[in-house]
Amino acid sequence: MEQFLYYIKVSLVSIKRAPLPYALTIFILSVGLGVFFANATFYYQLNSDPLPAKSNKLFFPMMLITPYDCNDCRPPRVLSYANVQKLANSDIPSAKAAMYSADGYARLSSSQPPTPVVIRITQRDFFAMFDVPLLHGSFWADDGGRFEILLSRAMALKLFGRTDVVGEQMLLDDKHFSVIGVLNHWQMLPRLYDANGRNHLSPTEDIFLPLETGYDLHYLSKTNSQTFDSTDYRKLSTEGRTGALHQLQYWVQLDTETQQQAYRQFMLNLANDEKAAGRHPAPINNQLTAMRDIVSYFGDESGDIQAFALVTLLFLLVCLFNASHLSLNRYLSNQYEFSLRRALGASRAQLQLQMLADVLLMALFTIVGALLTGYVGIKLMNHLLPGNSLFSSWDIPLLLSLLTITLVCSYLVTLYPSLRASFGTLNQQLKE
Amino acid sequence: MIKLTNLTKIFRTELIETHALREVNLQVNEGEFAALTGPSGSGKSTLLNILGTLENFDAGDYQLDGKSVKGLSDAALSRLRNEKIGFIFQSFNLIKDFSIFDNIELPLRYRGLKAAQRKQRIEQALELVGLHARRDYLPGQLSGGQQQRVAIARAIAGTPRILLADEPTGNLDSLMARQVMELLEQINQQGCTILMVTHDPDQARRAGRHIQIIDGQLSDTMLYEPFAAQSA
Ligand SMILES: Nc1ncnc2c1ncn2[C@@H]1O[C@H](COP(=O)(O)OP(=O)(O)OP(=O)(O)O)[C@@H](O)[C@H]1O
Ligand SMILES: [Mg+2]
Repeated sequence: MEQFLYYIKVSLVSIKRAPLPYALTIFILSVGLGVFFANATFYYQLNSDPLPAKSNKLFFPMMLITPYDCNDCRPPRVLSYANVQKLANSDIPSAKAAMYSADGYARLSSSQPPTPVVIRITQRDFFAMFDVPLLHGSFWADDGGRFEILLSRAMALKLFGRTDVVGEQMLLDDKHFSVIGVLNHWQMLPRLYDANGRNHLSPTEDIFLPLETGYDLHYLSKTNSQTFDSTDYRKLSTEGRTGALHQLQYWVQLDTETQQQAYRQFMLNLANDEKAAGRHPAPINNQLTAMRDIVSYFGDESGDIQAFALVTLLFLLVCLFNASHLSLNRYLSNQYEFSLRRALGASRAQLQLQMLADVLLMALFTIVGALLTGYVGIKLMNHLLPGNSLFSSWDIPLLLSLLTITLVCSYLVTLYPSLRASFGTLNQQLKE
Repeated sequence: MIKLTNLTKIFRTELIETHALREVNLQVNEGEFAALTGPSGSGKSTLLNILGTLENFDAGDYQLDGKSVKGLSDAALSRLRNEKIGFIFQSFNLIKDFSIFDNIELPLRYRGLKAAQRKQRIEQALELVGLHARRDYLPGQLSGGQQQRVAIARAIAGTPRILLADEPTGNLDSLMARQVMELLEQINQQGCTILMVTHDPDQARRAGRHIQIIDGQLSDTMLYEPFAAQSA
């Protein structure tokens, strides 16, 4: 311990000898690592699996049931109400839910100013499939239409000032609803059930409304709706169930390989039936994508993200190169001291211990600088891309890996220069 | 205790080969005080560095206490330097931002001595060179002669058997040079073998033995009685 403190003291003395180049080295390393940290944080959160136990059991079925012929088309990423009913006509999945999201306004009475809200319009199984925690009340009894809603915890607090509001009445787009449940803290990150609309980086919805009621009230999807014929768009919402409106996301839970095989076969049969009925002119193209693969399936954006990650990695390499160059100069200007220590009987191993103390100090300064830069970088990214602001938190595993990366970088920056300095020929430096 | 047989050192650069030492044979016994003289570039420093194992050689053999240093590991050579050899340089080579105490402590640190033992040895060495009151000074606050005495204290704090001094008085005026010489003689009298490179004929005469190098060869070795033996 005493010897360790001595090594630290010697490191500090040699820093004091030329503080400016040292500070510059730390600065360059901090900036490189900070930018890398900011990007790594985003990347890490974006690629994390929010439901590791289920992400290979929840599936997103898609079929090319469009009224026109189309070679090598991908099936549309949303389904019509009628097609969901056909897909739901199977007992193979252990759970299934159709869903979409819409914008609305909520208030407690018509004398209050309305609050804009995001509504998830869905079915009962949604909550079980995505492990949604309930704080008060209950979920819907079945998939029937009803004027009953669930609130997120934050929305309950915002509207009522408390969470236990089960049984309370409120207005959603000026229709009367009663609150039957309040969710606990819940933020699936990323919200993969919304990946088809590329909306999976945004926060949890505020209000949950039964699917049938959503259709009764003519809500339209805020992210993704399509038609494949010349229907008058003004009739889309009023004829939501029967018309050509495609806006539904549909998720099924298939726990076993057998279930998955059976459901694929069911989809194939369905496509053949549709063909026979003349509603499936295009070649059959069924997709059953697991939640684990959903982002890469719809991965339009990932190219940008990967390019950005590559740029930050290159930037880090450039910073590393510059920092080790500075560090090499620092060591070479101290080289006579290495030779002196060797002449006085220090072995290379003992000099390497000194170097480890140098590494430790550098890592310490750098981690502080890098975390600061990373924090500022994340704030900046949140400012520029507010949609991604959920992805800026640091958890323990991430922090530990960032710490390790800093140590490795400090080591790399110190290793080569100090090896150079300690292997230099001895007699020369001692002459001057 | 030192035995060189046909020792050869060649410096190779891309352009030229310099034969710094040509088949040198030399034997130095325990307790001798030998002065090494010769023209500039004749190989004096090279010889001293090889004796101090700071430099390797191309041919021949170097035996220290009957054991060849050839093929020793880095760790073994370091230990040998640390325990048996003390260096004194023309330019003192003190670490400028270490106190006198910390400078003298360096070789004792590498030997792994306990704090109390280190302190005792440092104080003894400072006593001998007469700088006890200056232990917390920085080297820059001392005169050249005092700095060289600190360097000597550092060299002898580990009680080495051999002291290798490369022009230890080269940067000093004559008064300070004399003080340093007297100190070295005193150390030699206590039994430490000393090899000293010098350009000063007076100093060479004061040493018990005078070795001349010309162009990498020991051209002339005048043998006197070892100083320690003489005065005994
Ligand atoms: N590292 C080296 N690389 C190449 N040549 C070297 C090296 N060190 C010494 N030499 C050469 O070896 C020869 C002997 O050098 P050395 O330093 O031993 O001389 P010296 O007797 O100590 O001289 P001085 O009195 O000037 O100190 C010189 O010709 C020198 O140029
Ligand atoms: Mg010389």
